[in-house]
Amino acid sequence: MSLVELAGRLRRSELSPREAVQDYLARIERLDGEINSYISVRGEEALAEAAALEALPPAERGPLWGVPVSIKDVIDVAGMVTTCGSYVTEDAAPAARDAAVVAGLRRAGAIVLGKLNTHEYAYGAMTTSPRFGPGRNPWDTDRIVGGSSGGSGACAAARLAAGTLGTDTAGSVRIPASFNGVTGLRPTTGRVSNRGVFPVSYTYDTVGPLAPRAEDCAALLAATAGLDVEDPSTADVSVPEYTSELAGGIEGLRIGVVRSLMEGDIDGHIAGAVADGIDEFRKLGARVRDVSIPGLEHFGTIQQATQFADATQVHAPTMRTKLDAYGADVRARLLTGLFIPSTVYASGQRARRAAYATMREVFRDVDVVCAPTMPVLPPRIGEDTVELNGQETLYRLTIIPYNSPWSLVGLPVLSVPCGFAAGMPVGMALVGWRFAESALFRAGHTYQQVTDWHAREPALTSTTG
Amino acid sequence: MSDELPSIDYLRAAAALQGVHPADDDLRAAQGFLNVLLPAFAELENLTPEGTVPAGMFVPTEEP
Repeated sequence: MSLVELAGRLRRSELSPREAVQDYLARIERLDGEINSYISVRGEEALAEAAALEALPPAERGPLWGVPVSIKDVIDVAGMVTTCGSYVTEDAAPAARDAAVVAGLRRAGAIVLGKLNTHEYAYGAMTTSPRFGPGRNPWDTDRIVGGSSGGSGACAAARLAAGTLGTDTAGSVRIPASFNGVTGLRPTTGRVSNRGVFPVSYTYDTVGPLAPRAEDCAALLAATAGLDVEDPSTADVSVPEYTSELAGGIEGLRIGVVRSLMEGDIDGHIAGAVADGIDEFRKLGARVRDVSIPGLEHFGTIQQATQFADATQVHAPTMRTKLDAYGADVRARLLTGLFIPSTVYASGQRARRAAYATMREVFRDVDVVCAPTMPVLPPRIGEDTVELNGQETLYRLTIIPYNSPWSLVGLPVLSVPCGFAAGMPVGMALVGWRFAESALFRAGHTYQQVTDWHAREPALTSTTG
Repeated sequence: MSDELPSIDYLRAAAALQGVHPADDDLRAAQGFLNVLLPAFAELENLTPEGTVPAGMFVPTEEP
């Protein structure tokens, strides 16, 4: 059942918030041992909050009234330790208040079920937490879930919450959305408050939803978007009624396909699935053509030039006192940030401005840019390479060309399931101009009216056994 | 930017200046990243049109 379907059933009193919470707690108990998507579950608190919501008169019930959701564990939930998936936080105190996005979900009536597994400090794309163990992909539990919001992707895919929140700096919502077969949104930078979220990079971080359908993500964004006077990175830009703008189809929508990302260093089966998805858009009335983005091959480098310094700056005090408490891969990335010359950061910021101008021109001719979300299938747990057209390739290097360019300019990206390759889900990235999430939701929603990739669920052993 | 890549001794000293004291294995891992990144970063200086000012703290905001 999708989040929007569940919200409708709750509104019509076909089940109560307590029953919804109990159903999800039972599924978590039965299934999460196979995929390790949860770090902590707050069952008693969630049931108590459900009971309190049931006492609200109908006029005071929000759009997500009684809907159980779960939160990546770099985002504060009052009363719970934000572990960031790390031993560094072993002695940390519980969060005193909810992050802005969690407060928004609660205002809309949602109930927080628990906190979800993450790559340590959201600084990597594997979700192999040294402290809590690896997330396991529900479509093949020998494979990774991607990351860094891997727990959020796996949880949404296994229907262990109606929807989840993740964070995305350079792909961390989109990659697990693609690898786990769910829909995920990286919002425009500045669209959603980062207050109460442990940062990777102040200028790239976003909080975004992962759930089965585009309409679910629209409902979650509606509850979390908007100006936050306590977070200067949020923009004072009006928030549309995302869920009421889904209908109407995509006749005439101008879609630009990034041909250079459909060829070359990409699994042929993935490229084929995305090409089929693009054909569906054409049948739905979109005007599809190829686009070329001058300098795109450098955009990932520019993004890295600025992100390393940001991340290391955040962790510098802890690196002086607890360096050994980090996992080896995150420790190496953080150390790398110490050694990159400051002139690189300034050069990166100049190149970032030029990239922005380039993308502004591209979006004068198209409404949506389309590309594969990821060019490879998820690696096996414990391996850092993937097979790409017969060659072993470093997984982390495959991520950057497909994800960093859109982050660099702060663009919104919706990843929608568009097929399978070797039994694993494939995602298609729909990129919009800044603050154009509505166009992405409408495109994804329209596509999901004529396809069923998003509705397929993994057959976990405990489900079938 | 020089083509010369930083040695472990240099990295150890640079880290110590910032109050961080990593093991040599960790410095070697960082060196591996730098060997890939620094040559790519060096190109950035030549990529950007003259007169381009840096992006702001947050990229410009505008309604679509």
